[in-house]
Amino acid sequence: MHILIVDDDPLAGELVAALLEDQGHECRLAENGIEALEQLGADDGIELVISDLNMPLVSGLDLFAELRERGLALPFVLLTGDDPADILAQTPGLSAALMKDAALEEALPVLVATLAGAARP
Amino acid sequence: MAPASSETFKARKARLRAAFLDQLPQRLREARVHLTRLPDHAALVALELAFHTIKGSSGSFGLTTITDLAREADDVLKAALAAGTPIAPGSLATLTAVFERFDALDLGAADRADPAERYGFESEPLPPGPVPGQMTEETPGPAHDHASRRCEQLVYLCDDDSDLAQELCAQLACFGYCVTALTTLEALRAAVIADPPAAVIMDVMFPEGEHAGPATIAALGVETGHAIPSMYISGRGDFQARLQAVQAGGSAYCTKPVKTTELVEFLDALTNRETPTPFHVLVVDDEPAVAQLHAMILEEAGMITAVATDPAQVLDLLKGFNADLVLMDIHMPACSGPELARVLRQMAGYLSLPIIYLSSETDRERQFEALEVGADGFLTKPVEPARLVTEVSLRAERMRTLHSLMVRDGLTGLFNHNTIMQLLDLGVANARRDHQPLCFAMIDVDRFKRVNDTYGHPAGDQVLMALSRGLRLRLRDSDVVGRYGGEEFAVVFPGVDVQQARDILDQLRMSFAAVLFYAGNATFNCTFSAGVAAFPLWSSADALTEAADLALYRAKRGGRDRVEIAVMPDASGDLARDRSGEDRDGH
Repeated sequence: MHILIVDDDPLAGELVAALLEDQGHECRLAENGIEALEQLGADDGIELVISDLNMPLVSGLDLFAELRERGLALPFVLLTGDDPADILAQTPGLSAALMKDAALEEALPVLVATLAGAARP
Repeated sequence: MAPASSETFKARKARLRAAFLDQLPQRLREARVHLTRLPDHAALVALELAFHTIKGSSGSFGLTTITDLAREADDVLKAALAAGTPIAPGSLATLTAVFERFDALDLGAADRADPAERYGFESEPLPPGPVPGQMTEETPGPAHDHASRRCEQLVYLCDDDSDLAQELCAQLACFGYCVTALTTLEALRAAVIADPPAAVIMDVMFPEGEHAGPATIAALGVETGHAIPSMYISGRGDFQARLQAVQAGGSAYCTKPVKTTELVEFLDALTNRETPTPFHVLVVDDEPAVAQLHAMILEEAGMITAVATDPAQVLDLLKGFNADLVLMDIHMPACSGPELARVLRQMAGYLSLPIIYLSSETDRERQFEALEVGADGFLTKPVEPARLVTEVSLRAERMRTLHSLMVRDGLTGLFNHNTIMQLLDLGVANARRDHQPLCFAMIDVDRFKRVNDTYGHPAGDQVLMALSRGLRLRLRDSDVVGRYGGEEFAVVFPGVDVQQARDILDQLRMSFAAVLFYAGNATFNCTFSAGVAAFPLWSSADALTEAADLALYRAKRGGRDRVEIAVMPDASGDLARDRSGEDRDGH
């Protein structure tokens, strides 16, 4: 699966990429929402966006809203430092929201595998 | 997952974790600067973001002590932000305590305590993915000399999968490379010793061992006494495989399925010892002496510079300069660096142009504020010449690579759909300004689906590559060629009237129809149809596209393998129905 990872901390972004590339996915990184939109505009092969929530200028939620406004319906996963339950409940259309902790290493590959399965019937 | 590959993720994670720990003291120092600037609101926001990021990243790395400390600070700061009141003295005390406890962690020691997790690659970081490292900007257009030189170069491709090797060689031939396929390491060894190549394209894994490819190249390097210019193709994208390739001197690494255009770019870089186009840097400084000094340093390093001593000159200077980067002073009368950066960022063409500030500003907070507008770096005056050159070339190089990946189509190396449409817009604007003609053509391979269905997708790809290469080689530098989508191509011909465009396309059409394609034992020919629309008969990019598309449709309806010229809309309906295929000369 072609995945765009958005995180203002490049190290955290690369960690997610390492995790998913290990599962055979192809990952690209963006360090902010603007860069993410540019990459999405330039590459229509991206099948999934995984974004950090808390970023300067354009937050993960802003990015999600902007994508939907542009009519891009690709699955969108939020990663956050806080408990994701509230945000998930308040944001219809999000594929998932996961907490950035040690469990992410287990949870994210499973989630992405499920999404990849759903994308290819 | 095989154990070997989970090892690799562990190694990569360990490296990232070590880098995170390395950077943490610096991040905390920056956070401390924000702390001293409280109760300023911007500082509060920045401080919250800093701790929030530390919390999230350390959480991902499983560094729970750090996560807990950062959470404590983040909670206090979030509450203060939510309350909208200046931060309470009690909260301030909590923050100070958090900083002290961070200091007490002695992060440097924690870092050193775990030498097994440090792999020491920091000095020579590996590219994060199969990103071309040293591509030079290639302008579409005639490149006969370049193409013929390619074939004089001896290139070997070694892969134990002989079908794949043959297919890659056939595809590379479409780009003018004569590549010899070898399927065993022994055959490669013999070939390299008998006739040293300009480059070797090498698989990583062979029956002899999972890293036998790089090992053979390394051994050959020792045996022959000079390094073998090599690049790797592999089904594996893991760290160990990449590391072996780098240690054997590999200059590029492509994961399978290999994109032929990516291979070609690397081969060009490996086999062409021409100097790449120098970086173009615009220097903006209100002090002429300083501007000249920096321009001189960069020019001595082989770059081309333009100097603006007034921000108002910048837009004019950027036009036609093809800047790779802007180096700007931060304090200028009338328009500050960040204001100028904002002006540039609000223009679509300069959204991704790298900007580096140069200033005597040492206040970190002010530096961050300036960076927030969308600049890429900050250098403090006086800057050492070597540092200036390094910072500028690193960023310019990266931008060129990214740009080239962004605007080009993966299979054909032509401009992609978005880019060609932007360039058409630009071409129309220029034609209007200069009162020059312009034509836009849409080209579509005839019965392409049948080629794919009958001969397979590799054969179809060959057709697309051959056509795109033909377009690149035969058109002028000023013509813009792109892949519009699928089997559709688009060309912008600036300064060309409709009759000239038709002649050019007809010549292309006839030579393309003569090309013989190979698929296994079968051979076949292909043709294309084209529709042309002319400015100013159609006065906007949208109108040109629609008219060219309609003309292309008529060409298809009229029996394919022909070029049709778009006519005015009120007549085109009738023409499409009644006069399809009629040759209309004299336009």
